[in-house]
Amino acid sequence: MTQAEAKSTESAEAFEPRIVAFVCNWCTYAGADLTGTSRIQYAANVRIIKLPCTGRIDPLFILKAFEGGADAVLVSGCHPGDCHYTSGNYHARRRWTLLRNLLAFTGIDPRRLFFSWVSAAEGQKFADLINDITGTVRDAGPFDPTNPARRQPWT
Amino acid sequence: MDVDRLRQDAAAVLADGRARMVIGFRDRAGDRVPAFITDAEQAGELLYDEACRQNLAAYLKKAELKRFRPVAIVARPAVMRSLVLLAAEAQVADEDVLVLGVSDDQEYHGILDLAATAALLNEKYAEMPHDPDLVKRIEEISAMTPEERSGFWTEQFARCTRCYACRAACPMCYCTQCIVEKNVPQWISTAAAGHGNYAWNIIRAFHLAGRCTECGACEAACPQGIPLMLLNVVLARDVEEEFGVKVGYDAEAEPVIGSWREDDNEDFIR
Repeated sequence: MTQAEAKSTESAEAFEPRIVAFVCNWCTYAGADLTGTSRIQYAANVRIIKLPCTGRIDPLFILKAFEGGADAVLVSGCHPGDCHYTSGNYHARRRWTLLRNLLAFTGIDPRRLFFSWVSAAEGQKFADLINDITGTVRDAGPFDPTNPARRQPWT
Repeated sequence: MDVDRLRQDAAAVLADGRARMVIGFRDRAGDRVPAFITDAEQAGELLYDEACRQNLAAYLKKAELKRFRPVAIVARPAVMRSLVLLAAEAQVADEDVLVLGVSDDQEYHGILDLAATAALLNEKYAEMPHDPDLVKRIEEISAMTPEERSGFWTEQFARCTRCYACRAACPMCYCTQCIVEKNVPQWISTAAAGHGNYAWNIIRAFHLAGRCTECGACEAACPQGIPLMLLNVVLARDVEEEFGVKVGYDAEAEPVIGSWREDDNEDFIR
């Protein structure tokens, strides 16, 4: 049993969502940084993973996060037109459009997969976003441990 | 269908050197199996009927057959689209392949090169609807709750033995090393159970997003009867609706994933 799974079975009454956020280095990570340096409080339920660009975010990352026990996944990067590598976020957007529907069709509740654009100047937006999705996932409850996307213990 | 004309054409392209191999179908104890014909005199073995559902374009990229190029392939419209798509992805050159075209209602189209194949597809098969039974099934599954859907797919994927017949049957699965075989790091568990089966089937479908011509060969090859075409059609429908692309009609087309437009839909992005 992984640490993540051990935690998720602890107690239903004190459910704290675990949200994995894949963010790009240039906009959303800098935006999250600004949230901190501006002393804006936000829910501590998010684990941020920084990548060079949203174009680097492979669907496998998202599957891996769900597999390892994430209750929700957030993917966030630069607004269209602002990509540090010109077009990484445009490429990513196409991928997400398809992946989102495919995952919903195979049983991952769309309330567990979020996408956003947060620029380096949007510290407040990042805080609001995290608070909002934490609330949504709290309402949705823990990610079903029997979902086929979740890592199962050997039987 | 006029099988005699198919046999004559197969013999003719082998005899005059336009092709070094003809890949078609033959009978083996009542089954339709692929025939690899290199000698004009064997062309009489060729057969064609409704039971010939395999996508023979899958053989084009097999290393063992490269020395037999140019290859002539017996192809129905979905298979012709696979060939045009392989050309669009720079996997075959115009001079590598000839098509012995057959319509879905058993009409013979004769010998075609890739340009003529694309022209025929655009002229006669521009509207190839998704299989209505699959569309109906997709609507039913989409109407379920997320819990019911995950239950349905748990049951389906649980049967997967990870034989990768779906991959072998698909002309577009031509990577020399598949992501599922990469183990540093291991992205997809290779154990034939649970999350590994889920990740494999999702990623297989996703890697074919905007590249599937809905020939049905993967599902037909699956010994466990997993409804893979449901996943493929969900993606193909989205590609059409969101990006306005129907793949396999244009050998110059940009890949769907790998290109973008500024006005792509982003309603779902906050």
